[in-house]
Amino acid sequence: MAIKAKHQRLVLLVIALVVLIGAGLLAAWALRNQASYFYVPSEIVADPPAPDRAVRLGGMVEQGSIKTQPDGVTISFVVQDGEARVPVTFKGIAPSLFVEGSGVVAEGKMRTDGTFIADNLLAKHDENYVPREMQNMTDAQAKQVVAETQ
Amino acid sequence: MHGFANPARFLRIARWLMPLCMGAGIVVAFGALGWGLLAAPAERLQGETVRIVYLHVPAAWLGMAGWMGIAVASFTELVWRHPLAGIAARACAVPGAVFTAVCLITGSLWGRPAWGTWWVWDGRLTSMLVLLFLYFGWMALSQASEASDGGQSKAPAIFGLVGAVNIPIIHYSVTWWNSLHQPPSITMGKSAMSGAFLWPLLFAMLGFTLIFGGVVLARMRAILANQQAEARLRRKALAAGDL
Amino acid sequence: MREAMDPWTFIAASYAIGVGATVAMIGWSLLSMRRAEKRRDDARKR
Repeated sequence: MAIKAKHQRLVLLVIALVVLIGAGLLAAWALRNQASYFYVPSEIVADPPAPDRAVRLGGMVEQGSIKTQPDGVTISFVVQDGEARVPVTFKGIAPSLFVEGSGVVAEGKMRTDGTFIADNLLAKHDENYVPREMQNMTDAQAKQVVAETQ
Repeated sequence: MHGFANPARFLRIARWLMPLCMGAGIVVAFGALGWGLLAAPAERLQGETVRIVYLHVPAAWLGMAGWMGIAVASFTELVWRHPLAGIAARACAVPGAVFTAVCLITGSLWGRPAWGTWWVWDGRLTSMLVLLFLYFGWMALSQASEASDGGQSKAPAIFGLVGAVNIPIIHYSVTWWNSLHQPPSITMGKSAMSGAFLWPLLFAMLGFTLIFGGVVLARMRAILANQQAEARLRRKALAAGDL
Repeated sequence: MREAMDPWTFIAASYAIGVGATVAMIGWSLLSMRRAEKRRDDARKR
């Protein structure tokens, strides 16, 4: 009898847990668009937000695209995600990790001419950790070394 | 299984296991922190700031492991009614909450130089903050249910299981949703992290996990001793009343 | 213009908080354990 009650509790609890985890995963799935912190360039290009709406644009800073304007404080660069590219202008102080070929999240508004006007920049670091001694290597070389040292 | 749940047998094991975990954990964890602080290299993009990883990642792991401990103990308590399961759940709460707080604080101190902001409301940071509040809620609930009927209430165990839903959400937040936080560097069997960072990090995780185990065992011994002292005093009061 | 910060301020603050919290937690857990076990042993003796 004691064994039976124990089994009943076990089965009920396992069912409750499965339902609970299912509900949690379903909720997370339903939130997948709302809970995203930024839009990627292909989403912005496919469905441009209203020019007065503040949005976040996130992606990679295109190689060779960072240019300082003649006034010395405005910079322009291109954010891309492999499918689409969005030109961005920003006036202010960029975080120290804001470099070409790395991730960035720009907060601002999309102009109707297709340029993004950012009033704040955040740098996004990716999952690759490479020692500084390897900084003169290309990305492919660095990845190779990382693969060999572990 | 029942033999292991016997408090007398538990005490016999915990008496030597607790100092062993604590001592080894302190040596390994602080050794790894020294390694990370002084000997490990700077990172290519992040520079010296990367050294915060040796505290941030072990704290994040143990903040989540603490709740997994609460969930497993709660499950055991509800199904098998082991006398030690509820004690184990209560022993996990404080170290879990402390490591979650350390994870959030070191993450903020890392975010300012690396991202350019102390805090953002992205999926990872928000779900980790939710975990800290779950710990506070759980501790309050377990305190309240203990005060009313001597720890017999099932409410904290149910809360412990329901709250465990947040753990996979924290883990997958960076893959499901675009976030400012990076995706995991170490995944099953492979690492995007060079060995120069990976090894001190793995030792720091091992060391802090041992410290966590030692603290949980010490908490369990303390809670058990308090219960035994109270039971003894109650029995004495009863015996005195009979005279 | 790019931001220039001293990383060591942030590293030092992180280590101070992380190590401080860990040491405080270890000390508190050992002290409260010793106090509780002493209380139990006293209750047994009397």
